[in-house]
Amino acid sequence: MSAFIQLVVSGLATGAIYALVAVGFALLWQTSQTINFAQGEFVMVPAFFVLVAIKYWGFGYWPAIAVGFAISALLLGAAFKGLVVEPMLRHGVLPLVISTVALAILMKEAVKDFYSSQAQQFPAIVEGTDLDFLGAVVSTQSIAVIVVAIGAVALLNWFLSSTLTGRAMQATAQNRNVARILGIDVERMILYTFLINGLLTALASFLISPIYLAKFTNGETLGLAAFVAAIVGGFNQVRGAVLGGLILGILDNLAAAYVSAQYRAAVPLVVLVAVILWRPQGILGRVEERSV
Amino acid sequence: MAPDRSAIVLTLEGVVAGYGPMTILHGTTFAVERAKITTVIGPNGAGKSTVFKAVFGLIKVRTGRIAFGGEDVTNLAPRQLLAKGISYVPQGRNIFPELTVLHNLELGGIAAPPEIDLPARIEAALDRFPILRSKAKAQASTLSGGQQKMLEIARSMLLDPRLLLIDEPSIGLSPMMVRETFDILKDLRDRGTTILLIEQNARSALQMSDRGLVLEQGQTRLADTAKALLNDPRVGELFLGGGSRPEHGAEEK
Repeated sequence: MSAFIQLVVSGLATGAIYALVAVGFALLWQTSQTINFAQGEFVMVPAFFVLVAIKYWGFGYWPAIAVGFAISALLLGAAFKGLVVEPMLRHGVLPLVISTVALAILMKEAVKDFYSSQAQQFPAIVEGTDLDFLGAVVSTQSIAVIVVAIGAVALLNWFLSSTLTGRAMQATAQNRNVARILGIDVERMILYTFLINGLLTALASFLISPIYLAKFTNGETLGLAAFVAAIVGGFNQVRGAVLGGLILGILDNLAAAYVSAQYRAAVPLVVLVAVILWRPQGILGRVEERSV
Repeated sequence: MAPDRSAIVLTLEGVVAGYGPMTILHGTTFAVERAKITTVIGPNGAGKSTVFKAVFGLIKVRTGRIAFGGEDVTNLAPRQLLAKGISYVPQGRNIFPELTVLHNLELGGIAAPPEIDLPARIEAALDRFPILRSKAKAQASTLSGGQQKMLEIARSMLLDPRLLLIDEPSIGLSPMMVRETFDILKDLRDRGTTILLIEQNARSALQMSDRGLVLEQGQTRLADTAKALLNDPRVGELFLGGGSRPEHGAEEK
């Protein structure tokens, strides 16, 4: 039992990180029909912004984290929207999807060439000590990750539902034409979504890199996990993406322990196939109406 | 009967517009009188909805001029037009289904200038549409079709526009809701709002209108009082289903 609790807690920690990434993924889709196949690399690369700030610019941990967030919002948010999404989306969704795949490769190779191909140590927010929780050994790091990630999602949820700007963003996602007719600054709302996605992936990066180390290949599994989490929960729902992330994180850990660590990578795919077969709109998703 | 020149609030002069390479409005010209209901009728594809989109800055006017209150407003953005006092309720469902009724309503005031007391306006709108007050906290998707239309109208009135463009408000509504919607429009007119209306049910729309416009192939064919149009045999035959000729025959070139 104690081993099970331990696995669930560490699964929740991984799952909360998946949730951050999946929420960003779903938000981009809702407001701008962007399917970002570089989302995993968006999680991989901010850790290197921080490492550069610490190693080459001599920054302390917190200033470096702040710099990491700022660069991520700028590059992965604003620049991604202006230089990749807008020019490509004019030609359709498929060209955009292919561009994000290319972007993922570019980011991966850039990190490998300009920083290192070796996995890098990354400082954690809290010292990793172990606590006793109902007889199970739970690391403070897992708890910190869960608290920070869930806190960030709760904050985002509060912003989207309790502020006028947040509701204007939701309105833009639900019906862009009507949003424009009411005088909502649709372009700005879409930009906010990209900035939020940049910040979410950066946060995920700073939380996961201490656990799995920062490496140029990290995006491969993370991007897939986020994509699957978003689909499992319901592509058009923020809370669906959260649920999908948590489920995936827990299953992932349980499978690694009770089935085989080698099959761990297959878990998201099995879950994906199962959901698509039985509930294609996702657990919390709603069927989207499309007029042709 | 020509409209009263001194009471003109909106004019279109030779407006040419369309979608991509397609031209729908071929030099549309007409004038709309203040505090009147003007109904635009015409066959499918005549450019009725396109006129609204051109006025509201949703499609580009290639040549020609649109003036509102004597001021050139050609190709202004919706935000700017809202500030000048024009609101637009398009065809179909125009709510945000997953926001509450109250939050839908409130977004109608997002372009409001800071001096406007928005909470008071929202209260007034809820007073006027009690059904919206009773469902204020419910998701907008739970409203019936008629209630959704009420919400859209209430929302478009939040900025107290001088001109309301409303496209096919009665589509999909029960006869009772249609009557109620028309009553609301008449009431708005009596309070001084100019209303430009498109209606599929041309006869009942003209019956409650002050003036009418017949649009055909993107041009104004007739413009007169609603009463004159109702009695005009050409209109009756082509658009009101009065004659034996199928409505279809009017729209072919």
